[in-house]
Amino acid sequence: MKKQGKGTYYIIIGILLLAFLLPFIPLVINSFAYNFRWPRFIPSNVTLRAFKYVFYENSNTYEAILNTLIIAISVVVIDVIIAVPAAFSLVRYEFKGKFIIKAVLFAPIIIPSFTAIMGMYVVFIRLSLTESIYGVILAHILPTLPYMLKALMVSYGTLDIALEQQAMVLGSGPISRFIYISLPHILPGIVTGASLTFLISISQYFLTFLVGGGKVITISIVMFPFISGGDNAIGSVYGLLFSSLAIINLILIDLLLKKYYKKRYFKII
Amino acid sequence: MWQKSRPYILILPSLLIIGTLFFGGLILGVLQSLGFMDVEGNSHFTINAYKQLILSKDFTNSLVLTLKVALVSSVLSGVLAIVLIRLLFMLGENRKTAIFRKIFQMPMLVPHITAAYLIMLLFMKSGWLSSITYFVGITKSMDAFPIVVNDPNSLGIILTYIWKETPFIMLMIFPIMSRIQDSWLEIAQVFGARRQEFFVEVIFPLIIPTWLSSMLIVFAFTFSDFEVPYLLGETYPKFISVYSYNMYYNGQLSDRPMALAANFILAIITAMIGGLAYKLAKKGYTKEVRW
Repeated sequence: MKKQGKGTYYIIIGILLLAFLLPFIPLVINSFAYNFRWPRFIPSNVTLRAFKYVFYENSNTYEAILNTLIIAISVVVIDVIIAVPAAFSLVRYEFKGKFIIKAVLFAPIIIPSFTAIMGMYVVFIRLSLTESIYGVILAHILPTLPYMLKALMVSYGTLDIALEQQAMVLGSGPISRFIYISLPHILPGIVTGASLTFLISISQYFLTFLVGGGKVITISIVMFPFISGGDNAIGSVYGLLFSSLAIINLILIDLLLKKYYKKRYFKII
Repeated sequence: MWQKSRPYILILPSLLIIGTLFFGGLILGVLQSLGFMDVEGNSHFTINAYKQLILSKDFTNSLVLTLKVALVSSVLSGVLAIVLIRLLFMLGENRKTAIFRKIFQMPMLVPHITAAYLIMLLFMKSGWLSSITYFVGITKSMDAFPIVVNDPNSLGIILTYIWKETPFIMLMIFPIMSRIQDSWLEIAQVFGARRQEFFVEVIFPLIIPTWLSSMLIVFAFTFSDFEVPYLLGETYPKFISVYSYNMYYNGQLSDRPMALAANFILAIITAMIGGLAYKLAKKGYTKEVRW
């Protein structure tokens, strides 16, 4: 009776798993298939035409990959630099106006950033931040910073204050305390926050388009004309490229975190 | 002095950026929607933009459509997430369910714009599913396949959101599940509760607040999202974000205050939903602690 019950659960979950994986199938087929048209559902022949176009013929692709990475990495670096002290302060101190400050800092999670950027547009024009990569970097800070803050706050929350006090008693200054005690402890938080930031930044289409005006070319910008009624094979290759960036990011983070915890564990023993 | 101001100084860089760029932008937007700093450099207070918006049929149609789609998407994602979590719980924790969990998280890795494209390739009239139904003999022609993409019911948009947001809601609930299981499952089993009963009696009541608050977050997100409806939406009525974007960049300069007024209404609605989600999440936390 019990076994049989589990069997049905496995069947239901298997069907749902397939449903979740289904959307990936046409993407992969479309990118490789030769002359893939309705009513074919398996390709008759395989071709690398779309890959060739994306990686050899369209010189925009490399510029787009480069820009996407420059923007995402700059945003990560800026976020880490400004979020580390802020997260420390929010976890360690009680002060007047803390609740309101927290509400302000976390507001961009729920209120869409484009509403603010559109209001800022006139100012961005005056500062010539439109159609510029700097403007795009600045705009990407808004939707990412709260996530970086959150990740770092979780990390700081588990750091025992006594460790720092011990170091202080032993005569270490605030900078060496940060480098030798806090930093190693919050490293996983930084890595997690960086990975989220990276993911959110590379996914942006609207903010990049608003500020960059189509002049700052990222993967999502290059991809758009092909997926909105363009060549499906090429659109699919861009889709694969885009998703693989996100997946590489995740695998890298996973490896880094695993390595970190192994090393830590070893040290404690 | 230093001791007292230190917390503020440490926060200052973050606060300055979010304060000027985000809230500065919101305030500037409101000011422009109220007739200040218009293109000719004139400033005169007027609530004309809001009046025009509320009286305009295009805007109310957009608002209704956006609310409807956000509501349906968030509720369906929430229900599917609970069903999946329950199924996974009934199967217990083992190597297989750990892999299942990972696979169900996969859509979260796909950017929204790509997710919309995946749904489009799968569901459009000349898409993969349509080819399969033709091959099997369910549909006799390309046109016999139902309209799912760029359709009046926004089915494509809703499907994209369900695919993307169900994993998000599951992710929010997983940590609570494991905390409850660690501390309570064995005790419950000692008293003879089966997994099924344990889920209904113990787990479900405890995850309700988090479940509701993550559904509200999904609602706020889908309500203000641009990319998915821009790609999969119908030409009329448009989603609010798309409507406001079109008015600002493709309309006349005199339309800009209206676009910014629409933005402000959008920001206010999402902010209220966010506040509600926060309250619920907090309630869930205290409920769990009390246990």
